[in-house]
Amino acid sequence: MCGISAVVGMKNISQALFEGIRNLEYRGYDSCGVALMNGRGLVIKKNIGGVEEFFRKEHVLEISSQVGIAHTRWATHGKVTRNNTHPFTSCDGKFAVVHNGIISNYRLLRNQLQKEGHVFESETDTEVIPHLLEKFHKETKSPEAALVKTLHLLEGSFALAFLCAHDPEQIYCAKRESPLMLGIGDEIKFIGSDFNAFIDYTKNAVIIDDGEYAVISRATYVVKNAITGEEIVKPITQLDWDSETSKKGGYPHYMLKEIYEQPQTVSNVLDLEEASLDELAEMIHESRHTHFTGVGSTYYVANFAKYVFAWLAREFIPATSSDEFVSLASVGPDNLVMAVSQSGETYDTLTALKFAKASKAKTAAVVNVMGSSMARLVDKVILQGSGPEICVISTKAVISQMMVMTLIALRLGLRKKVLKKKAFERHLADLGELPGIIQSILNERSGFIHRIAHRYAHIKHWLYLGRGMYYPVALESALKMKEVAYVHAEGMPGGFLKHGTLALIDENIYSIVFIPPREDQELYQATLHSVEEVRARSGFVLGIHFDERGKNKDLFSEELILPAVSPLVAPFIQLVIGQLFSYFTATTLKRNVDKPRSLAKSVTVG
Amino acid sequence: MKAVILAAGNAPNLSPFSDTRPIAMMRVAGQTLFDNSLHLLKQSGIHDIFVVVEHQKEKLISAIGERMDDGLSLHFVEQGRSRGIGRAVLGVKDKIQPGEYFLLVYGDTLTAENIFSKVQQSFHAFKGPVASICLPPSNQMFGNVFLNAQMKITRLIEKPKGDNLGNYVLSGVFILPASFFNLLEKNGANMEKALKEIVGEGMHASMWEDDWLDIVYPWQILEANKVLMDSWQTSRISKSATLEANLTIQGTVVVDDGAIIKAGAVLEGPCYIGKGTYVGNNSLVRSYSSLGNQCSVGYGVELKNCVVLDGARIGRLSFIGDSVLGEGVDIGAGTMTVNRSLEQKPVAVKIGKKALPTGLSKLGAFIGDGAVIGAGNTIQPGTVIPPGKTWSACYSITQR
Repeated sequence: MCGISAVVGMKNISQALFEGIRNLEYRGYDSCGVALMNGRGLVIKKNIGGVEEFFRKEHVLEISSQVGIAHTRWATHGKVTRNNTHPFTSCDGKFAVVHNGIISNYRLLRNQLQKEGHVFESETDTEVIPHLLEKFHKETKSPEAALVKTLHLLEGSFALAFLCAHDPEQIYCAKRESPLMLGIGDEIKFIGSDFNAFIDYTKNAVIIDDGEYAVISRATYVVKNAITGEEIVKPITQLDWDSETSKKGGYPHYMLKEIYEQPQTVSNVLDLEEASLDELAEMIHESRHTHFTGVGSTYYVANFAKYVFAWLAREFIPATSSDEFVSLASVGPDNLVMAVSQSGETYDTLTALKFAKASKAKTAAVVNVMGSSMARLVDKVILQGSGPEICVISTKAVISQMMVMTLIALRLGLRKKVLKKKAFERHLADLGELPGIIQSILNERSGFIHRIAHRYAHIKHWLYLGRGMYYPVALESALKMKEVAYVHAEGMPGGFLKHGTLALIDENIYSIVFIPPREDQELYQATLHSVEEVRARSGFVLGIHFDERGKNKDLFSEELILPAVSPLVAPFIQLVIGQLFSYFTATTLKRNVDKPRSLAKSVTVG
Repeated sequence: MKAVILAAGNAPNLSPFSDTRPIAMMRVAGQTLFDNSLHLLKQSGIHDIFVVVEHQKEKLISAIGERMDDGLSLHFVEQGRSRGIGRAVLGVKDKIQPGEYFLLVYGDTLTAENIFSKVQQSFHAFKGPVASICLPPSNQMFGNVFLNAQMKITRLIEKPKGDNLGNYVLSGVFILPASFFNLLEKNGANMEKALKEIVGEGMHASMWEDDWLDIVYPWQILEANKVLMDSWQTSRISKSATLEANLTIQGTVVVDDGAIIKAGAVLEGPCYIGKGTYVGNNSLVRSYSSLGNQCSVGYGVELKNCVVLDGARIGRLSFIGDSVLGEGVDIGAGTMTVNRSLEQKPVAVKIGKKALPTGLSKLGAFIGDGAVIGAGNTIQPGTVIPPGKTWSACYSITQR
């Protein structure tokens, strides 16, 4: 998982290159490097550390250049060292390459090249590329021909860009499986892993597909098929996300900003085209078996969907973690595999979908990033339209995905006639209230959550309990706690307690219980029963509930009281509380909220 | 940008300490609240500062006026006989040019990190009026600032009724346009109304997530002391301090010029020993103790979580804990500030005619400037002693 960015323009581009690569930092940030073309040839700067630190330490902005490439790395092959940092150069120093992805046959290529006398400086897979380019350039005298020959040899996944001293005013790039796009400005052109690399400068993007390469210069660009060499006329995609929404806008962290954007992103889902949702509901209806899949937070979305479909559409649809999908699921032509992914680049989920495709199953996905690999891979895609999510911890994307799944379940219920039109309308009306309710929770309850999070920030182990639909909410909330606050939190169904975990409970065990509204009689009683089990053993319980104040006073050690809402809306609200609780715990503990240690935004490696 | 610090209020709830000084002159962790604000303002790039004064203004002017050497342009504006925050702000109307923005600071709030830099950053991002907001540490202080996703303030409720609203409060730092004075005049100098009006015109929030304190009650002086001491990174012992043998020093400790620490004393950081202060043999100075300048602490005294102002004297074998002692307070030998009730219930403090719950299970006494406590007294938790009051010694055996 890495980010690549490249710029060619009229004036000095080092600032644009800096901003581009900094905006891609969420893709990985353990080391950074640039290659710039100036009057004397290629200038290479690289070092370990984040983008800003690197640019400052290496004085990169002081170098004047009209052509440059940059890379922010997330180590997959080789350790985090300066030597393993991109760009990599050929023996003669004429080619400089940045790459995102994995070259799976690099050992073989490397051995051959070493036999031919090429000297390698790093442990990375990427370094074979500049050496291959050098080798083929000697044969063909053309950088483009050298690129095509190199592409024929490479196996695995890549998005790459390179500079060549033989052709100092152009940048070459190519793509297979890893994301890559061009940004088209008037007298300036960009290459980026995604639009964040250039959206401050242009909203015109050209999405490069697998098996294509492109050559850009400040005035023009050309995209070709790597096998046939034919030129491809690509449409320009107008990006409708402006740069301001990509930025923090006064919030202390992207995470909080994105939590505050949830009323809007939920509204966006409510405005999705009905026909599209119906089409997917129909696909589920027609397939003999449907599988939901996702990984991390999206696996919990799939789990949530499992409960919603069971309730609203009386349909049991298993949810499988996409990293385990291939070992578990047997799918065939009459099956549907439906995935959930924010980035649409998640390696494990893409693998599951490719497996499903190979087994001739139908595929569908709920995805946030348009033009992503997954969006283009599946038979049916629903773009959730949540806008860019920058914080590594997913918040608004998750709630929106839960909403998409709920809407499809409703439509399937109606289609199967297990849901009457009247009930369907009522549920829809309830969901319509959700944006306003989230807004009022954020505006009226944040302080209570903050105070409790502040007071219990020293607790090292939490148990998150929920039953029914609230079980995935507990799982997802616990994951937030782990990833942003580095605090151990375990999600568990309430009914599970007495089958083992209860032995653990004493006054040192802290639990959070997600309690349904009282309307949901059975679930409500069962959940309170779990609370009593914990309290009877002197365990601490933070109850998040919808009852009036004082009602369950003796039951809880601490309580967070939410305004009364309908049962379909309640789990969404509970999750917002779970998100804020982790956020405030993390800020109290002074964690690196937007970029937690060891995590990257979209996990494009297996 | 110009800054305006409001330091005119008489803060009756902070009696007995506010009786004899503007609260900005309260000294905790070796510096006054005012020093702390000045330092942070300077650090954030602001050098042009107006201070609105009135209550006990001489104390502030004489103390600050002497130190006009460090590149600051500092001017005092007297509020006069008018009352209220709105009037105080209007006092600087002629200092701010039309079209100009200024930074407004309430003098009784405290942060250790630089809230002024943060609010200026937000101002540059939004290019319009900004109010700093934060989540307060306790439920009692909740107000309600309603926000939309773009950080625009949509509604303000300063003191919500009932207990179902708990959200961000205004943290007492604003960046306002000169046109705000017109809004104040239009609303009869009512700050709350003028703020609501500017919110209607468009005002953004700047979220503050680090420690923040609004000092309203005397026990919050101890919290202020803690917030500042917690921000210390290093210990410092002045070259001119005298440290005798067999001292135990641990944690972050600051010993200022000319202080004398006698043999056998224990300093557990964080703690502060002021200029020329004497700490007697075998004294135990526990964490979060702040001793002002020229104090005297007798043999075997135990100090814990306390703020002791300049010139106070504490007689031998006394215990001062969770307490604040004013300037020149004289504590006789063997005096105890009892800091918890037998039932371990939260201590209440009588402010004016009302006993207010503090929520603190340990709290000692608040003794005003110049009060004299005779030897052998034990002081009830939460006791407030007015400035200058004399309590005779407590003898168990007398001549008669």
